[in-house]
Amino acid sequence: MASHAVTLNDAQYEEQRDHRLLGFLFFLISDCIIFSSFIFTYLYLRSAAPVWPPPGVTPADLYMAGVNSIVLFGSGATMHFAMESFKHDKHLRFYWWMMATILLGSMFLGGQAIEYTNLIHENTLWTTSIYGSSFFSLTGLHGFHVFIGVCFLVVVLNQTLSGTYTKTRYFGLTAASLYWHFVDVIWVALFSILYVWR
Amino acid sequence: MGIISALGMWGVVVFPIENYLKEAAQQAADIDWLFRFMAFFSVPILVYVNGFIIYFVIRYRTRPSDSIQATGSPIHDHSALETWWTIIPAALMLALGLLSYKVLPEYYGAQAAAVTMEAIGHKWDFEFRYPGLAQSVYNDLYLPIDVPVTMDITSSEAQADDAVIHSFWVPEFRIKQDMVPGMVVPIHFTPNRLGTYRIICTEFCGIGHSRMWGSVHVVSQADFNTWFATQQKQSANGGPKVNVASGDAGAGQALFQQKCSVCHNAAPFDQRKVGPGLADLFDDPQHPALVDGKKADPADVAEILEKGYTGSMGSMPNMQANGISSTDIANLVAYLKTLHK
Amino acid sequence: MAVVEVSHATSEHIHPPPETFVQKYVFSFDHKVIAVQYFITTGLFFVLAGLLAELMRAQLAGPNNHVLSVTMYNQAYSVHGSAMVWLVIIPVLTGAFGNLIMPLQIGARDVAFPWLNMFSFWLFPPAGILLFGSFLLGAPEAGWTEYPPISLQEPAGTSMWCAAIFLVGVSSTITGLNFLVTIIKMRAPGMTWTRMPLFVWATAVTAFLSFIATANLSAALLALFIERTFNVPYYDPSRGGSPVVWQHVFWFYSHPAVYIMVLPAFGIISEIIPTFARRPIFGYKAIAYSSTAIGLMSFMVWAHHMFTSGLAQWVQLPFMILTMAIAVPTGVKIFSWVATLWAGKIRLASPLLFVLGFLSTFTFGGITGIFLASVPADIHEHATYFVVAHLHYVLFGGSIFGIFAGLYYWWPKMTGRMLDERLAKLHFWTMFVSFNATFLPMHWIGLFGMPRRVATYDPVYGGTNLFISISAFVLGASMLIFAYNALRSAKHGELAGPNPWGARTLEWMIPSPPPYYNFDRIPIVLAAPYDYGQPLPYRDVAPEYLAAVPRF
Repeated sequence: MASHAVTLNDAQYEEQRDHRLLGFLFFLISDCIIFSSFIFTYLYLRSAAPVWPPPGVTPADLYMAGVNSIVLFGSGATMHFAMESFKHDKHLRFYWWMMATILLGSMFLGGQAIEYTNLIHENTLWTTSIYGSSFFSLTGLHGFHVFIGVCFLVVVLNQTLSGTYTKTRYFGLTAASLYWHFVDVIWVALFSILYVWR
Repeated sequence: MGIISALGMWGVVVFPIENYLKEAAQQAADIDWLFRFMAFFSVPILVYVNGFIIYFVIRYRTRPSDSIQATGSPIHDHSALETWWTIIPAALMLALGLLSYKVLPEYYGAQAAAVTMEAIGHKWDFEFRYPGLAQSVYNDLYLPIDVPVTMDITSSEAQADDAVIHSFWVPEFRIKQDMVPGMVVPIHFTPNRLGTYRIICTEFCGIGHSRMWGSVHVVSQADFNTWFATQQKQSANGGPKVNVASGDAGAGQALFQQKCSVCHNAAPFDQRKVGPGLADLFDDPQHPALVDGKKADPADVAEILEKGYTGSMGSMPNMQANGISSTDIANLVAYLKTLHK
Repeated sequence: MAVVEVSHATSEHIHPPPETFVQKYVFSFDHKVIAVQYFITTGLFFVLAGLLAELMRAQLAGPNNHVLSVTMYNQAYSVHGSAMVWLVIIPVLTGAFGNLIMPLQIGARDVAFPWLNMFSFWLFPPAGILLFGSFLLGAPEAGWTEYPPISLQEPAGTSMWCAAIFLVGVSSTITGLNFLVTIIKMRAPGMTWTRMPLFVWATAVTAFLSFIATANLSAALLALFIERTFNVPYYDPSRGGSPVVWQHVFWFYSHPAVYIMVLPAFGIISEIIPTFARRPIFGYKAIAYSSTAIGLMSFMVWAHHMFTSGLAQWVQLPFMILTMAIAVPTGVKIFSWVATLWAGKIRLASPLLFVLGFLSTFTFGGITGIFLASVPADIHEHATYFVVAHLHYVLFGGSIFGIFAGLYYWWPKMTGRMLDERLAKLHFWTMFVSFNATFLPMHWIGLFGMPRRVATYDPVYGGTNLFISISAFVLGASMLIFAYNALRSAKHGELAGPNPWGARTLEWMIPSPPPYYNFDRIPIVLAAPYDYGQPLPYRDVAPEYLAAVPRF
């Protein structure tokens, strides 16, 4: 592209932000549909199976996932505080809340890695049963989203530190926080149908 | 347009579908009635839509005398007209829905005193299991007339690569049910017309799909009993013996084209279809043994043709599944012997 | 309606036009250039997929023919179906027509996200290469629906098919959300929802369907790909999976996809009829709202493709009733279009001719759709040539006739030159007659017992099939007339001028072809566009464009 430095006036920025926000919401809706599709597959297979979990399968541990869920929901809270701090121009607090969110997100991923290792030790793989295929594809898809979310947060934090966002113009931050809350909400659904519902 | 519609509607009534495709089961008449109902009301819709298009285009065409600026009527809508053309189709749809709902239970509602059988789809054969018959019957289904049948429809799951979706369709019965591996779906019907009708697979199931046909023979109760007794005797004897020496290569060639060529080429081993090429079957230094490990001589080939093969190398249907007799096997062996040059 | 004072909300902000060849014609952000790119690529894929169809008809011309091997035949119809649906009809209606016309009709300078627009186009040629390239590794054979378990047993080409359709799916999702944001946010001042041209309405609903339904297809393709590649059980019944899940998920996409393929064609029809009848469209709101109703209802009818799959009766019933209900808004549209012809001043030019062809064939296809909606009748008709006939009546008789109507209508806007009317009419009549001759007899052979997806058939259908094949060759040849006409117009076509048909929507208020950035000033819209005989409802349009009089 011919890069031409364009400075947007406020009205133009508002218009652009508006478009991006709506576009991003549509993206989240279609992402939600992808999860729904895998959730439907899981529910269908589960309801068609004579016994659940299938014989010989050790299901994932509820307590460990519970702890991990608290970590993820906590990161949703810290994300919220980070955004509030930014809106009130409290940059140092914003920085620490963002670091906390990134840390909690990474802890969730670490917890998931431990969970996967345990399951693999018990020979519950995604190839061995429909429990494995549903469990690993849903949590894996979600874990992938968390990973992307953590990267997203690192990038916007870096951008904030280098002064990309101002008090009135911070769409990147809004998008990152929306995405993070979306990932949280999806986890509520996954946690209930995969772990709580025995 | 009224006249054309009336003619069309009359045509629907006097040339019903059963004139071209017989009704051989009880619900076929109901389905044809439903079909006629839909066709009857479709005719005026089609005639009036097309008729009005042609009429308007001629009646309201721009004439040379019109100014280039001329425009048509400025009317935007007409609420009475729009209400009617919403209500009438909706009412027709509702009527059709109710009528269809009335016919449905004939498939799915179980009948009293029905004979329960199983139909199992294979690549590319229909297997039927009768109560009281140890051996399955392949491709030729015999049913006594006027006896209600409950058919449990499913597909083979014996092996991963045999498990595909087929469909069991008898056009004259107006019955179709997908044969889904892992699912058993009972359907109900009562054949009520003597004759032989074709069973057709309508769900794509691999290279043999186009020719996956069977026959259903609706026979009198007496004929059915005779046939059933023969089947029972055969199944007790373990089937007839094959005399390999007396084959007719010409007949074997015709049979090979019809049956075997779906999966095998009459060409060297490497020209595979589903299975290997069979031209050098009896004299191939690279492949001296048959798939079951025995050496390739006529008796062993006949044994595979008779019993089929299922194992690590794939699968080959047995003689019942292929619908061939012991004479056919002898003919095939004779033909295969002529292939090697 | 109260007079609303409208003005430009935001100051205008124009990028300089690109200068290098690559920026202008290859990785262009300009919606008009991207539209032409879509037209060219889909045109190419249309020729390839059409040739596959002719090969199939050659094989089926007689029973027990050996023009193609059985495997080749199976591959041909699978790739033909997949390519026509995903590489031709969907992209030409959304990517090409949507890109070319929608921003112009809402008075915008481009779509909301031009970069995404370009990106979404460039996902599309690799998808085509993957799909047609799958012949090298053993193309898919189980039809465009690729039902497992048979699709799990096929050679590697099916994985390429998954990847190809996945790419098209991503492209379609992106285009959908891009268009919907554009339509919601970028309409010219004063263009309220009920002043939008009907093509924009149709595109809005299509865009909504695209990004909702297509995401679901992507998920299903991902699962099929994972199962084929890593042996993870979702669909394989021998390992606890269920092939019926695929059918549910696939049709949850593919039924809305049917409307993705036909709603934009409805939009094209709604634009062309008032222009050539020289009168307002009859029942604007009925047409707009019925599009929306069809769009929403299309998510609730998918299982009518699965009436023989062994669904419980209580599942079949609501799907049957809803499928029948969807016929009502469709009927409302057809009746409104016919009523627009009433008391008009009709000019029977080529675009209108194709529209009339559409009305005739699509009505027929819609009615056979009702025959398939009724569960007991569908049990007999399912997976026979009756279905093949029905789907070609809606997708060829509907979408493709609509596409050609749109091409003849907007060709002057896109290229600045007219197509030859006599050749256009010749094209229409050969195509219309041979289309009906090809697909009408299929209804009967289907009803009387010929299943679909077979390389050979009972010799009793031999005569009918020979007739169908000959008609299909004529149908294929009729496309050459269009190709010749299009090439000819580049050199000998009459210059079109801004508004050759005397239409009233915004795309005709600027020169043909439209300049970079479309509008010198964004026009202000005062009313809906279809009031023929009234002054044009636009402010800030250059006066020389304001006389909407047909040139012939």
